Amino acid sequence: MPSVARLPVENGNPVRAMQELLRRLLAEDDIVGVFAPRQPPAKGAVMPSLITDPEALASVDPASPSFPVNAAQQVARLTRGDLDGKLIAVLRPCELRAFTELVKLNQGSLQNLIIVGADCHGAFDNDGFRAFMESNGGKPGIDNSADFLRRVSAGEFTAAANGGPALARACRACEHPAPEHADLTIGLFGQDTSRDVLLIPGTAQGEALVSRLGLATSGSGAGRDEALTRIRAERTAYRDAMFEETRAATATPAKLAEYLAACVGCYNCRAACPVCYCRECVFLTDVFAHEPWQYLGWARQKGALRMPTDTLFFHLTRMAHMSLSCVGCGQCSNACPNDIGVMELFRTVAARTQSAFDYEAGRNPDEKPPLTVFHQKEFAEVTGGHD
Amino acid sequence: MEAFEPTIIAFVCNWCTYTAADLAGTARMVQSPRLRLVRMMCTGMVDPKYVIKALLSGADGVLISGCHPGDCHYINGNYKARRRVKLLNEILTGFGFDERRLKLTWVGASEGNEFAATVNRMVEDIRALGPSEAAAVQAL
Amino acid sequence: MANRIGVYVCHCGTNIAGKVDVAEVARFARGLRGVAVARDYKFMCSDPGQEMIIRDIRELGLNRVVVASCSPRLHEKTFQNACLRAGLNPFLFQMTCIREHCSWVTADGLEATDKAKHIVAAAVARVNYHEALYSRVEKVHPDVLVVGAGIAGMQVALDISRAGHNVHLVERGPSIGGHMAQFDKTFPTLDCAACISTPKMVAVSQEPRINLMTYAEVVDIKGFVGNYTATVRVKPRYVDMRRCTGCGLCMEKCPTKVPSEFEAGMGERRAIYRNSPQSVPNKPVIDAAHCRQLGGKKCGVCAKLCPSGAIDFEQKEQLVSMDVGTIVLATGFDVFDPTPLGQYGFGRYDNVLTGLQFERLNNAVGPTDGKIQMKNGEKPGSVGIIHCVGSRDTNHHPYCSRVCCMYALKYDHLIKDKLGHDTQVYNFYIDMRCFGKGYEEFYRRVQEEGVHFIRGRPAEVTDEDGHLVITCEDTLLGRIVRVPVDMVILCTAMTPRADAAEVARTFGISQGLDRFFLEEHPKLGPVSTATDGIFLAGTCQGPKDIPDAVAHASGAACQALSLAARGEVTISPTISHIDPDICSGCKSCIDLCAYSAIEFDERRRVAVVNEAMCKGCGSCAGHCPSGAAQIRHFSERSIFTELSGMLAGLPHPPAATVAMAHPIPAAETHGQTAQGA
Repeated sequence: MPSVARLPVENGNPVRAMQELLRRLLAEDDIVGVFAPRQPPAKGAVMPSLITDPEALASVDPASPSFPVNAAQQVARLTRGDLDGKLIAVLRPCELRAFTELVKLNQGSLQNLIIVGADCHGAFDNDGFRAFMESNGGKPGIDNSADFLRRVSAGEFTAAANGGPALARACRACEHPAPEHADLTIGLFGQDTSRDVLLIPGTAQGEALVSRLGLATSGSGAGRDEALTRIRAERTAYRDAMFEETRAATATPAKLAEYLAACVGCYNCRAACPVCYCRECVFLTDVFAHEPWQYLGWARQKGALRMPTDTLFFHLTRMAHMSLSCVGCGQCSNACPNDIGVMELFRTVAARTQSAFDYEAGRNPDEKPPLTVFHQKEFAEVTGGHD
Repeated sequence: MEAFEPTIIAFVCNWCTYTAADLAGTARMVQSPRLRLVRMMCTGMVDPKYVIKALLSGADGVLISGCHPGDCHYINGNYKARRRVKLLNEILTGFGFDERRLKLTWVGASEGNEFAATVNRMVEDIRALGPSEAAAVQAL
Repeated sequence: MANRIGVYVCHCGTNIAGKVDVAEVARFARGLRGVAVARDYKFMCSDPGQEMIIRDIRELGLNRVVVASCSPRLHEKTFQNACLRAGLNPFLFQMTCIREHCSWVTADGLEATDKAKHIVAAAVARVNYHEALYSRVEKVHPDVLVVGAGIAGMQVALDISRAGHNVHLVERGPSIGGHMAQFDKTFPTLDCAACISTPKMVAVSQEPRINLMTYAEVVDIKGFVGNYTATVRVKPRYVDMRRCTGCGLCMEKCPTKVPSEFEAGMGERRAIYRNSPQSVPNKPVIDAAHCRQLGGKKCGVCAKLCPSGAIDFEQKEQLVSMDVGTIVLATGFDVFDPTPLGQYGFGRYDNVLTGLQFERLNNAVGPTDGKIQMKNGEKPGSVGIIHCVGSRDTNHHPYCSRVCCMYALKYDHLIKDKLGHDTQVYNFYIDMRCFGKGYEEFYRRVQEEGVHFIRGRPAEVTDEDGHLVITCEDTLLGRIVRVPVDMVILCTAMTPRADAAEVARTFGISQGLDRFFLEEHPKLGPVSTATDGIFLAGTCQGPKDIPDAVAHASGAACQALSLAARGEVTISPTISHIDPDICSGCKSCIDLCAYSAIEFDERRRVAVVNEAMCKGCGSCAGHCPSGAAQIRHFSERSIFTELSGMLAGLPHPPAATVAMAHPIPAAETHGQTAQGA
């Protein structure tokens, strides 16, 4: 059993304790930098930052309820080649799972990386975060995050009650609130985060770090498992209701077209998607640079042709390309200028496709993406039992 | 109302099903004219995009047909095709596509009769299902 | 885009024109975008037909051609050549089939005409996106590498060298000859194995065009068809091959004795040894694992005794590299180890032997000088032969090893012959498979010699008061029989070499489900592999008897020779290309490629197609999400436009054609239908 340590919290703000942890890790010999969400000088949403100066850690905020970008692609970028030492990356569970998918696709590497995950209460989408900041009234950045942890632990933000801000739907439907196979996990669930938080090693590397830090061990994460079970159950129920609603809303091709009717073909969803890893989306290549007479041909065939074209085609193709790797982080919905429920749609599809291949995105870095492997005897049902 | 006649696109492997189609022709095995062949070198070449494109631009059904397991001219292209069809089926059926609209079969080069039967069976199935709603959506 | 497309609709006499209104199809084609001319003609493949196309290309300046006629499998080349003669790149041509797939199989003439129009429209749309492609010619190095010098490898080396090409023959063991050198007699003719294989071994050693490398292994292969570079590791023999005369004095006084591999454990050898006096090369080798001197102890007896000073304890392993154009693998088989079949008592009872052990027992130069005897030196009064040990057994190998029935019959005969008619021989078989030339006749002969055949797979062999007892259900009688015997011979399966997977990786070839090397096609490509220029000979491809192995080997030799003799190889241009500006370097295509034809460029972090190894199957293109990987001549654009052409509504649907009620009924109707679906 890994020994669970406790990270003491002073002045009631656990963000400070997390910063202190990162400061101590950065001071270790072989650590070249910390990659973590950081408050910009003007208060606002955090952005992932690569930090080498310990002073700059003072504005790091892993507990921020803002989530403007899934950092998986950035971590992939930083690990796609030599680093002079090890990098500490502080990631949300969905960022870690997306990064795991990218590692399988040779976009990043687990070498030279120490992953620090934190229990994730969820985040607001961009609009929701602004509403939250207003509701919390003009405090400095990290105090907002401490308040958020306190309020969300008390059950706030799980629904848009009384017009107040609610967590992003993706987060409320996320059954993976705890980091999986992180080297170190900051345990927040079921803890009085104004007193201390847990530090749970998940790998030998994490274990070694905890012992080097010399923190008091507590033996168990009292209360965390129970809290985790409860949160998972709530979210799974929410998720299943969301699946049901989305399925009904897209039950026929015409309904799907209606669901996606506002799509302007901006491809923001793909740009925001952490597992859409193509350097250039095929829909931006000249394969889709149609001739005028082609449009006319399609229009003649259908009587009328909605333009821009290839939006249905784009979404269906993107489902074929990445639903198996979808981690449900919700950045697609966050990025959509026309409020299409992209996350709801893709998560619903992903649930089907991933279960069909007994695959779960981000579960295990050693699992091969389903379309890159095959077996002689499998899926006989596809050919009506003939194999 | 006039009787509905489906339009079906078939992506077939040059080495087996396409040859079987030749054989069926040589043997004058009458088939419905509603299925049209796209010659591929291997079912492993069939990009899921081709299937989606066909279904969005007017096809009421798509057939992919390749070599029997173990007989693939390119060793194992047919196994890759099978996974891709599995994936497409999972995606498309969620949006109300009947799974009979996307079919994968193994028809070897010598199986002219099987090819003709496959064509007629599929046309019959899709005729019974009626027109594909996706073909009528006025968007691509 | 100003393509000038010529469309040629063939009547094929009445084959097409009897059903399809070809003039109407040509008229329809004239209305298609980019079509400069569309004609119908009686026989497009005839000389006047081809001349018409050539004239149009020249006079009308056509830059694309579509022929709608029979299946492209028949005449694609004909028309491609016509294009070429007119100066048009043959890949700017599309042939489409309106005979086999249309006129011959459609009942109604109007429907057939309609279908033909769609087929032509698709081809015209597609040909717009064709690109000019050029076949590449690569030189083929005339030398051939043959790996393994058993009977198959020797046959390949001799066939090729006698045709005038140099052969590098690499054998892992200290001498050549393979399993056949261990056998005594061969079925069904009963001629002595040594008598027929030794001359071949000698011929190999004397053939000036064969560079024989024994005690050597291929460790690396680079390159592609016609241009392979092989690296061979030559293990130290510790015997200077130039000085050694093969007198054998060294072997007499060596103090170390170990079980002999060649004798299948039935006899012993020294640490300095050769397999038999007929070994080729006939010079000993020191087994470093057992030699006292090389193990750091005091010895060196062989060095003291050697009259020519050939012992050299300082020899080191060498890496030799060589350029070859083609490669033949003849790495043979392993004999199934029956130890896991504990019920037969192999390893537990002295007189339970494998087939190979019995071969040595029966061999005139074997450990007993050819006397069939039990461990205690006595003649066995009865022998049980259990067929299909490890073969036709889903727990071990589901396949039939193909030789066991026949060598069991050979043993039947030899036992009767050597030990006398009163010796009882019992065969326990599942089915007798005597399919070769003279095999069935031999089976009959052995039956007439009074050998017993019991149909059934024995349950166990037990030792009861010093006697072996075979318990088996005789499935013909439907009852359990218990047969006491003095000796049991297990007809053990032929299995793939234990390191077959490693060898397959080295050479970039595949293994089948049975783990034998996989041939290109089970029927029409039994000696070639999916990797161009690499061929299979003998049992590395699957169990074979000697005649089949030799025939297979000569086939492989012929295939390798045809490349080597031609001296060049044409590489099809319809292969994959990965656009380095689009490739994201995810390596998925590398995993999917059945031909190991995609490499990863670590510097640019992109996948690169090895054009000489790619077969154009499209496994990469079918997966690549960004479309970086595309098969030339089957680009996404050409397929998409082909689909558009095929699915487009016809501009002037003939009123009588019921089928053309499609495409667009009212949207509401669709909604209702889909709800029902």
